[in-house]
Amino acid sequence: MAEVTYLEALRQGLLEEMERDPEVFILGEDVGKYGGAFKVTEGLQARFGEDRVIDTPISEAAIVGAAAGAAHMGMRPVVEMQFMDFIACAYDILTNYVATARYRAGLSTPIVIRGPSGGFVRGGPFHSQNPEAGFFHTPGLKLVCPATVRDAKGLIKAAIRDDDPVIYFEHKYLYRRIKEDLPEDEEILTPLGKARVANEGADLTIVTWSAMVWKALEAAQTIEQEDGATVEVLDLRTLLPMDDEAIVASVRKTNKVLIVHEDTRTGGVAGEITARINEQAFEWLDGPVMRVTAHDTPLPYAPTLEDHVLPQTDDILEQARWLLAY
Amino acid sequence: MARVDVIMPQMGESIAEGTVSRWLKSVGDAVKRDEPILEISTDKVDAEIPSPAEGVLAEIKVPEGETVEVQTVIAVLETDKDAAVSAPSEPVAAPEPVAAPEPVAAPDAPAPAAPRGDGTVETAEERLRQRSTPLVRKIAAEHRVDITQIHGTGHGGRVTKKDILAFIESGAPPAPVAPPATPAAAPAGAVVHPTVEAWPGDRVEPMSKIRKLTADHMVMSRRTSAHVTSFYEIDFTGIARIRQAKKQEFQDRGAKLTYMAFIVKAVADNLQKHPVLNASVSGDAIVYRKAINIGMAVALDWGLIVPVIRDADDLSMLGIAKSIVDLADRARTKRLNPDEVQQGTFTITNPGVFGSYIGTPIINQPQVAILGVGAIEKRPKILTLDDGQDVIAIRTMSMFSLSYDHRVVDGADGDRFMADLKRDLENFPEGAL
Amino acid sequence: MVTPTANLESLPAGLSRDQLVELSYYLALTRSLEERLVNLYRQGKVIGGLYRSLGQEGESVASAYALRRGDVLSPLIRNLGSMLVMGARPVEILRQYMAKAKSPTAGREMNLHFNDIDVGYLGQISPLGDMIPVMAGICLSFKSRGQSRVGLVYIGDGGASTGTFHEGVNFAAAQRLPLVVIVEHNGYAYTTPTSAQTGVERLADKAKAYGIPGVTVDGNDVLAVYEITKDAVECARAGGGTTLIEVVTYRRKGHAEHDDQRYQPEEEIAEWAETNDPIDRYTDRVLRQSWATREELDDIQARVDRELDQAVKECEEDPLPEGGTALAQVYASPPASERLWFRGLHG
Repeated sequence: MAEVTYLEALRQGLLEEMERDPEVFILGEDVGKYGGAFKVTEGLQARFGEDRVIDTPISEAAIVGAAAGAAHMGMRPVVEMQFMDFIACAYDILTNYVATARYRAGLSTPIVIRGPSGGFVRGGPFHSQNPEAGFFHTPGLKLVCPATVRDAKGLIKAAIRDDDPVIYFEHKYLYRRIKEDLPEDEEILTPLGKARVANEGADLTIVTWSAMVWKALEAAQTIEQEDGATVEVLDLRTLLPMDDEAIVASVRKTNKVLIVHEDTRTGGVAGEITARINEQAFEWLDGPVMRVTAHDTPLPYAPTLEDHVLPQTDDILEQARWLLAY
Repeated sequence: MARVDVIMPQMGESIAEGTVSRWLKSVGDAVKRDEPILEISTDKVDAEIPSPAEGVLAEIKVPEGETVEVQTVIAVLETDKDAAVSAPSEPVAAPEPVAAPEPVAAPDAPAPAAPRGDGTVETAEERLRQRSTPLVRKIAAEHRVDITQIHGTGHGGRVTKKDILAFIESGAPPAPVAPPATPAAAPAGAVVHPTVEAWPGDRVEPMSKIRKLTADHMVMSRRTSAHVTSFYEIDFTGIARIRQAKKQEFQDRGAKLTYMAFIVKAVADNLQKHPVLNASVSGDAIVYRKAINIGMAVALDWGLIVPVIRDADDLSMLGIAKSIVDLADRARTKRLNPDEVQQGTFTITNPGVFGSYIGTPIINQPQVAILGVGAIEKRPKILTLDDGQDVIAIRTMSMFSLSYDHRVVDGADGDRFMADLKRDLENFPEGAL
Repeated sequence: MVTPTANLESLPAGLSRDQLVELSYYLALTRSLEERLVNLYRQGKVIGGLYRSLGQEGESVASAYALRRGDVLSPLIRNLGSMLVMGARPVEILRQYMAKAKSPTAGREMNLHFNDIDVGYLGQISPLGDMIPVMAGICLSFKSRGQSRVGLVYIGDGGASTGTFHEGVNFAAAQRLPLVVIVEHNGYAYTTPTSAQTGVERLADKAKAYGIPGVTVDGNDVLAVYEITKDAVECARAGGGTTLIEVVTYRRKGHAEHDDQRYQPEEEIAEWAETNDPIDRYTDRVLRQSWATREELDDIQARVDRELDQAVKECEEDPLPEGGTALAQVYASPPASERLWFRGLHG
């Protein structure tokens, strides 16, 4: 066992897949010699050479398009977005070309687009976004949002092996803040579409993912200590495919659901989860499905403003307590 | 004395911690503003940290080689030249926001859905939905429990999963006086009972669920309906004679022939003729009930309960008599089914059982009338004989009171009903048995 | 006081002696303000990132100096000098970097991402290239209203690889808009050298693809940048359309202060610092041509220091914005009641 960070776990996953499969290669801005803006790919170019870790121009649309072409030919490109905010620059090619390729043209496009998303780092409006909802709505894409060190590794490996295009939302706040012992002699491979019960509970389910899992766990702990109720925290791990079975099982167990996400509220993924619960577990609800999300604003820069706009542990606590008393 | 903190800066968005690599100044050294005082290293970069103020390095909190989280205070500067270096640390934090221009007030959380401001009343559907969740309704259906009879501890009196499970757990579900599960004409909002000062030596105990529910219901009913009460004296002499004659026969057939059986029979017959008394008010509409389900208030040691004789107009005297005994018996032994206390359309209460001459009953919502039956006993009564002569006779008499909802039942309606009821009871045909 | 010895004929680029000295002031102000920001950053007071323009101040100041009142420019994060020339105040920059409530964006946006179109600048957003079509639109308004105003937009050697750069320049060229596009060729886009960014040797060559003039200038020669920009600006003002100017310079600091720039050879950085610093070069020329004396320049630096002392003092202890102020002004007329934006409806 060795203690690694979330960021190191990602790097291990990339390295192992590149070792396993010579078709796996990385492309993106500053990923080579420098190892990426956050150093996720540090050392990989030295290890695998400039042909397998490619520094590109600042051209997100071209990077994604080129990855798609290589993927059609049987390669397994892993694209880094320097910040996930900039995936918007590749929105056209991702939604119109990549997502439709299999359906329209029978083309396999096994690419992974990964990069740092999320706030809490004073990054301002263009270095803090959680742009999953825009792609969640696009059939043909898979969305992965690891919350733990182990999943960071296990899910990136599974994403690379997946035959569909995967957008892999890392959380930059977690990069160097969480650490975990990972076994060195065992392959970690986390299947896409299987949620994880991060905390068992009986009175309320919090459905969440990525960095919010940690805030939900904090809230769950406080409630257990101060209120005597137990909260189940369900870490979805992947938004597409979504583990409906795990959600419904937890709803049937606790009968109350709070969905927590860092993205803004209107049109956020929580709305879809709510709809699925209504469709599949309506009679098991002992309260309305509620949401804790960011406010519907661009993400501001000042710490006071960012902290106000983003969901905090206290917001989760407040809403959870209200729902528990419902 | 002024002290200024030196903090570990965050140099990079993902950077969570930094290491003090070297102190360039020692405690006691004078430093100028922006003069380098230490070197740090992070996962990304090494940097010299300039002093945030002019002063003396008063305290080093993090030694060389140690790694701390960003924003951690790593040293303290004394900016007052005269202050001792060893003075206790009293960190001056980085400036906190104290005020901002044009603060935008967060919108107030909306009031919980509750009494409507426009004075309209919620519909039965609304009331049901507000009182229960899908899960609670599912459990209620499975266990045949009337949700409205459960005291809710959730927001706005909502029945929670815990409430209904506890209710079912408690054995035979008691069926307190409560509105049936169908239309309700109650204004939304919980009843608030004023608090009263307890004097020394007083005993204060919380109301039981059934007591609280009854209390709320009574106040709610008074607030909902325009109560008026009419009184009629009924001569039971004829019925007493029939009862005496048929008592044994009924007993042989497993029933007990009570005065109440006659009253229920006559009431059921007359409700057919006077549908406005077998009705409910729903918003601006009147619901005339097809079924005639007569509730019969039963006093128990732990409260009041109203089992319902369903479709009383379809029952024979024997059927009615059997029902009365059966329901009352099972009410006392907590063996009533939930649906046996639901969907009453008219209620009879019997204060006379304790000897009361008569009472003024409160309507059992959402019904529009309730009949009170006073003591049935022998009283002197003036009779006019066929020849016009008045005599005082010993008759079996009872005083009846009808409280009815004047919103939809006019005085004439109530009195006609009572007059018909009186006539039928006083001329009860023996053959009807 | 010093008596100027230069006669008017010897002054270059049609600039007066006062203007030449004023350029020195802006150069000193830009560099010193950034140095203050570095200290504030390392003291934990600047929030987020800090982006230096060390070694590039000359082209920022000189190109902006070629504009006149009414013109509008859109800077990048390294165009602090351009912002100051256009009229942004150091205290505004400091407040932006420290996310103060009184900053021009009330703490919502960072560093140079702020606007005063009336004064003449429109802040960028982080996705590079987006400001080129936006500036084309601003110039479209000048043109369609018959105004003799000009727009100027900066892009880097990296940003010139984006789709929006191409679409924006092409649009401006096709519409013959009064826009000057300055491509700052400073050698690195974050860590990526220009050779990995594009196949062209000279970024000015890109102009050919759009059918507009493309010129290259020594970005660390202040007056050369001024003159070439001035020509392009006046051409645009006269209806001559769009020009692309490649200014060749060098980024002596990392992409940001948290970047250890290990990918830049140390000798390369040292060489530019020692032999090709734009401020040193300009100062030498000022002194050599006697446009000002050493004492005058020292006075300018002293004035800059005083102004910055004052500016730092003015805002350092200012509060951050109140959290609740984050919610206003998302829309002119909100599409839903505000409570929909508000977490914890039942809280």
